[in-house]
Amino acid sequence: MAMDTLVWLLPLPPLLAFFLIILFTYPKKGLSHSISIGAALLSWLGSMVVFFNAVGKGPEGLGEHPFGSAVNWLPVGKGWFQIGVAVDPLTAVVLFFVSITILMITLYSVGYHNYGQPAGDHDRPGLPPEGATQDGHKVPSVEPLYSRFFGFISLFAFGMYTLVVSDNLLTLFVGWEIMGLCSYLLIGFWYGKLSARAAMIKAFLVTRIGDVFMLLGIAFLYSATGTLNFREIFFNEEVLHQLTTTPAGFLGLSSAGLIGILLFIGTVGKSAQFPLHVWLPDAMEGPTPVSAMIHAATMVSAGVYMVIRIFPLLSAGAEHGALTSPMVVIAIIGSFTALFAATIAVAQRDIKRVLAYSTISQLGYMVAAVGIGAYVAAAFHLITHAFFKALLFLGSGSVIHGMEHGVFHTGDHLDAQDMFNMGGLRSKMPVTFWTFLIGGLALSGFPIVTAGFWSKDEIFADAFAHGHLAVFITLALAALLTAFYTMRQISLTFLGGSRTKAADHAHETPWTMTLPLVVLSVFAISFGWLGIPEHFPLLGGIIPNWLGEFVASSLPHSLAEIDFNWIPLATSLTVALGGLTLGWLIYRDLPQGAEDPIKKWLGPVYTLLENKYYFDEFYDRVFVKPATWLAETFTYKWLDRTVIDGVLHSVARAAQVIGSFLRNKIDLPIINGFGDAVGELTAKAGEKVRFIQTGKVQQYMLIALVVAFGTLFYFLTQ
Amino acid sequence: MAFFTENLLTLILFFPAGAAVLLALLPARNEKLIRWVALLASLVTFAFSLVLWFQYDPSLEGFQFQTKVDWYQVINSSFHLGIDGISLTMVLLTTILTPLAILTSFTIKERVKAYMVLFMLLEMGMLGVFLSLDLLLFFVFWEFGLVPMYFLINQWGNEKDEREIWKGKKIKARTYASIKFMIYTMAGSLGLLLAIQMIGVSAGTFDLPQLFMIWKDVQGSFFGLDMNAVKTIAFWAFVVAFALKVPVWPFHTWLPDAHTEAPTAGSMILAGVLLKLGAYGFIRLVLPLYPEQAKQYAGVLAFLAVAAIIIGALNSFGQEDFKRLVAYSSVNHMGFVILGIAAAARVQGGENATLALNGAVLQMFNHGISAAAMFFLVGVIYERTHTRDMNEYGGLFPLVPIYGGVLIFSSMAALGLPGLNGFVSEFLVVRGSWPVFSVYTALGMVGLFFTGAYVLKSLKKVLHGPLNEAWQGKLTDINTREMIVAVPLMILMLWIGIWPAWILKVINWTVGWMF
Amino acid sequence: MIPLSWYLIFAAALFSIGLYGVLARKNIIAILMSIELMLTAININFIAFWRYSLPGQMAGQVFAVIVFAVSASEVAVGLALVISLFRRVKLIAADEINLLKW
Repeated sequence: MAMDTLVWLLPLPPLLAFFLIILFTYPKKGLSHSISIGAALLSWLGSMVVFFNAVGKGPEGLGEHPFGSAVNWLPVGKGWFQIGVAVDPLTAVVLFFVSITILMITLYSVGYHNYGQPAGDHDRPGLPPEGATQDGHKVPSVEPLYSRFFGFISLFAFGMYTLVVSDNLLTLFVGWEIMGLCSYLLIGFWYGKLSARAAMIKAFLVTRIGDVFMLLGIAFLYSATGTLNFREIFFNEEVLHQLTTTPAGFLGLSSAGLIGILLFIGTVGKSAQFPLHVWLPDAMEGPTPVSAMIHAATMVSAGVYMVIRIFPLLSAGAEHGALTSPMVVIAIIGSFTALFAATIAVAQRDIKRVLAYSTISQLGYMVAAVGIGAYVAAAFHLITHAFFKALLFLGSGSVIHGMEHGVFHTGDHLDAQDMFNMGGLRSKMPVTFWTFLIGGLALSGFPIVTAGFWSKDEIFADAFAHGHLAVFITLALAALLTAFYTMRQISLTFLGGSRTKAADHAHETPWTMTLPLVVLSVFAISFGWLGIPEHFPLLGGIIPNWLGEFVASSLPHSLAEIDFNWIPLATSLTVALGGLTLGWLIYRDLPQGAEDPIKKWLGPVYTLLENKYYFDEFYDRVFVKPATWLAETFTYKWLDRTVIDGVLHSVARAAQVIGSFLRNKIDLPIINGFGDAVGELTAKAGEKVRFIQTGKVQQYMLIALVVAFGTLFYFLTQ
Repeated sequence: MAFFTENLLTLILFFPAGAAVLLALLPARNEKLIRWVALLASLVTFAFSLVLWFQYDPSLEGFQFQTKVDWYQVINSSFHLGIDGISLTMVLLTTILTPLAILTSFTIKERVKAYMVLFMLLEMGMLGVFLSLDLLLFFVFWEFGLVPMYFLINQWGNEKDEREIWKGKKIKARTYASIKFMIYTMAGSLGLLLAIQMIGVSAGTFDLPQLFMIWKDVQGSFFGLDMNAVKTIAFWAFVVAFALKVPVWPFHTWLPDAHTEAPTAGSMILAGVLLKLGAYGFIRLVLPLYPEQAKQYAGVLAFLAVAAIIIGALNSFGQEDFKRLVAYSSVNHMGFVILGIAAAARVQGGENATLALNGAVLQMFNHGISAAAMFFLVGVIYERTHTRDMNEYGGLFPLVPIYGGVLIFSSMAALGLPGLNGFVSEFLVVRGSWPVFSVYTALGMVGLFFTGAYVLKSLKKVLHGPLNEAWQGKLTDINTREMIVAVPLMILMLWIGIWPAWILKVINWTVGWMF
Repeated sequence: MIPLSWYLIFAAALFSIGLYGVLARKNIIAILMSIELMLTAININFIAFWRYSLPGQMAGQVFAVIVFAVSASEVAVGLALVISLFRRVKLIAADEINLLKW
């Protein structure tokens, strides 16, 4: 079937683009970005065709028979391990938002990296461009490694497409890790900066902690079931039953439980959940499109996507609404992360860091949603979040870009990302402002209009309806904080008067940057309307809850419909509006040079939050330093060099001592001495008897004659 | 043509030796000619092995292309060659790496003739081990390979450093390393030779295919000892000999020294092929000859393997010397090979064993490729900077962009990034050994994490960060000759990563009928 | 017929003359000649014993012929040595030649 083949082709254009750019077209900037954008466009078109075909086939048909096919990949014993692609409803909707965000971000990068601007005066590969002089003015300069950026971002897109269309955990893991590599390369895109270098390694290693556990989980799942194909495992009652009844022999978990937790640790790393959240804020060292790519469209969603994918495994064995042990773990970690990260976001000054923590917090929502069994809500929030968070990141990039312009103009040395240096940008950058506002409101869950409201509301409703009150309260608190810090950010950046000269001279960014903002903001609003619950007062049923039905059909069993309840809705409205109002009241017109007002009220707590609960320092003390010590001092200097080599050298030395004993005490005096003595004795004896050698022949003969006669005489007389 | 096919193995084995003789006859002053003849000879050997690869039929059971000639009739030892999927893979690895190593050695300036002759002899020794189907012949080639390597390290190794052995006593590092290498291997060979003799005497033959069938059931006594005790002793003699060569922790300390001091091409071959001899010995001899003992002591082996994985990775992470870092990574990677072998030894057949052994053999091949590439890249940067201390590099990426790309690519293959070769084999090993040695496998993940740590550390110190201004204008990027060495390796890494079936098919079938 | 004892007495006398010459003469050539005399005495004994005890066999004659050959070669070598020696040291007195003496 044509559709099956098309699914295979989706990841290929970005991969080809990567190789083309890296191998051939890297000297030509324009050609490189055209290839990259072209590839993203092709994949987007393909994804749209697949998506609309999937929609056309309807939830029932697709859930039962997804698009896709498989091929033999790895010979194992007598059979083959197959890899393949499959598009079920969940894949289809994820494909929808992934392809569009990737396309937008690629397009946005053209403007962000100052295409068309002159090369910098002192720019160097591996450092952010520092501007060029043109006609006596300082203007932004083009990124020195412009083509490389597009190459990497194409590879990143390849990783994401691979992950999404995979029909098995192994190729999902392949895409997962390729994205890990790209995030490493892209966070460290400006590798000349020490902070970027540290951040790239941190990102890779922290996520790798999750990855190695995930690999174990995959190995476990594979050995327990003999396959890694999603449908063969999750749609097979027998397999699931067997997994839940076999004990894993560890902490009293069943096999399914242990596998679920191991796989979830992968998500913890990739989706930056507590306690592996530390890499994500540092990942802001990369260029802004990278932040958007990592934080919205691809990598972090991948973690959530994976837990949603393996949901049947996680929930296997759950009876009467009770949660399975992996689900409990997931719910606890998710909701804790949501609140925890939201508190940190309140005290950040850097515009991108606020968004980073907000991402961690929102991912916590989704994870918690999966944990309490709100499968559809998690997927819904994943999608809406991808749109509005990509929008916010790109918007913040636009703000930074505008600010940098101002900084070039005034020549001041100030941090273009610090929100306290901004203010009043509303009039300078209107498109950015309005789109950013839309994104911010969606993030806060501004009622009815925004997509964020609908998806968040669904999580609340699920949590409340299933009686997970602790989760419900935690998430509600987090939502309050979310609305608050979002408004704080918007107010500090765009409202009031400008607090620096640079902010005065900021101006709107080129169309390549604003167009993606506009497109994304459309989705940030409208996408939520596809998922309005049917029983919602007034609005319910006007637009059918298409998304809920469609996504839910990815599961073998349909989830129970929940009844409408006023309490979660009221909570949702209160926290969103309350937080927004509070933020607006406090920050709407902050004067120049002002301190953060909440600093006074919170006191030491603020310092604690500002320093992110000192997690970096804690990890450094407890893990990084000891590991370094272990490697350098213990294993190398002590174990290898001192103990093992020491033993070897002692053996060598003992051999040498024995050898020298044998030579000096045995060989030389005894054996050599004996030989020498024999020789000398002979010589001395010869000395003594040599006088008989006269050399006169006749004398000898005479003696011989005498002896002969003597002998003769002797015998004759006998 | 029939003659060619029938004697293909003999031809592959002795072609390098013939080339060595030819090289010895060439005038020493004409270095260019010598280099090209050596390269050509190794390429011809490679071409032969390609013919072998394509003529080999993976779907047949048993050894193929067998050649058997009486050699030492009195003790029933014969010149018996033959291949199966496992040895074929190793032969291919050897013949791929040798031309690349010789091409790398084009920068050798002193005593080129002797160097190339030794290199050809080295190739013959290694191929001999993989091709032999006779224990005595195996041992002969096993020892034979040592000699050229000893001289390569001792004569062409790094000239600068010194090593302190005990208080105040210092010797040249390359002398130290070569002697350590030699003595270590000899120590292992001693037991190996005795054990081989013992097998020969009690079974009455040295022929491997025969031994595979009869040795397990040989009963009786030997010098008054019970046969089982004798077998256990012989088993350990084999294990120690091969463990030294792999090397398994804690016998690994010769490796960083030898690798660090050897010339670049020597390190490539040392890491690429010589380490595989040990693992190959485990698979070819230990598992089929001592199934019971292997099963009994598999736990010990797995423990040592995991120790090698973790401690190797930690050691590597603790280095400031680029080459030593790469050297220790071999300990780490070969640990996975041994883990796979141990798992297969424990379960003896079945899917887990097949997967684990598939993984182990593929990991041998993959590590050969990626370690050779890494050593080569270390050599490239060393030739330009004359230092191996990573703290003296710093931010070289802008100066050597292509080199940087190649380095990142190869490092990622070494790290086991999915999509490149290392991942497939590591996954298979982990998958195969998880149901058998769950705890050890889980502990091995610590090593896998630190693999990431040391790979990133090397990239960080060499390529990233602020540029060390001292190198500005002094470094040239990787040149064409060096790219010719790197590109085939990179293609193999990618190819196996994306489509491992072509090589795994050959391994898988052999593993299937053998165990 | 002449009795055997006559031959033996004659041979003993000849041998004694030779022995005296070997022991008493200084000249190496004379010593060589004396040796020839002793060999001749032995030959006489061989022939005599052959004729009187085993005339049917030829062993005695064969021995005599061998002794001729030996004596001839001995003289040839001996004289060559003497000439060579004389050329070098101009001496042919046996007790004055002590080149090999310690």
